[in-house]
Amino acid sequence: MYVETAAIDLALRWIHLVAAIIWLGHNYVNVILRPRFVPLAVAGPAQVLTEDVRGREWREHAVFRYASIVTWTAGVLMLWRQGILVDAFLLQGYPAVIGVGAWIGTLMMLNVWLVLWPHQKKVLGFVPAPPEERARCARITFLSSRTNTMLSIPLLVLMAAGSHGGGLFV
Amino acid sequence: MRNPLDSVLGTVTSGLVLTLVLVGLLRILVTA
Repeated sequence: MYVETAAIDLALRWIHLVAAIIWLGHNYVNVILRPRFVPLAVAGPAQVLTEDVRGREWREHAVFRYASIVTWTAGVLMLWRQGILVDAFLLQGYPAVIGVGAWIGTLMMLNVWLVLWPHQKKVLGFVPAPPEERARCARITFLSSRTNTMLSIPLLVLMAAGSHGGGLFV
Repeated sequence: MRNPLDSVLGTVTSGLVLTLVLVGLLRILVTA
């Protein structure tokens, strides 16, 4: 019985970490590729996406969007299996350490789906939008992405502190 | 006004400051 329990917990932790790398890897790469915000050229000709580019853009964005759901779900399952899900989210006792991380992660996933994605669809041309609207959306997606990059820094500290360095909090 | 997230340094600094604030609050919360 112990073997199965440990194997499931290990698998969940591994899935959580790999999905988080796939998700946040996109954010970190974006920081390297585009260190500073460059406004979208409104005067330029409208971007015409070939079916091939469109398909690849769509898949790339789908990969990290769904990776965010996998990450969050694996995280919640881990907390539930350890019996600290409620305490974590209610910030009670020692589970409050990972609980703050869980809240940050929840905000990050909502940021991806409710803030970034609706605007990104217009920037990338999946949804038709006038040039001014696309320029406005480009700024929002930039800030949304950078906010998640920034939030990932404390989140990683809290994730690590859940297993290591707990003595710092008591 | 420039948003601090407009630069790499600003993003990392914001993240680190947020980390310090959260860890400080957590220490108070957990030890209370």
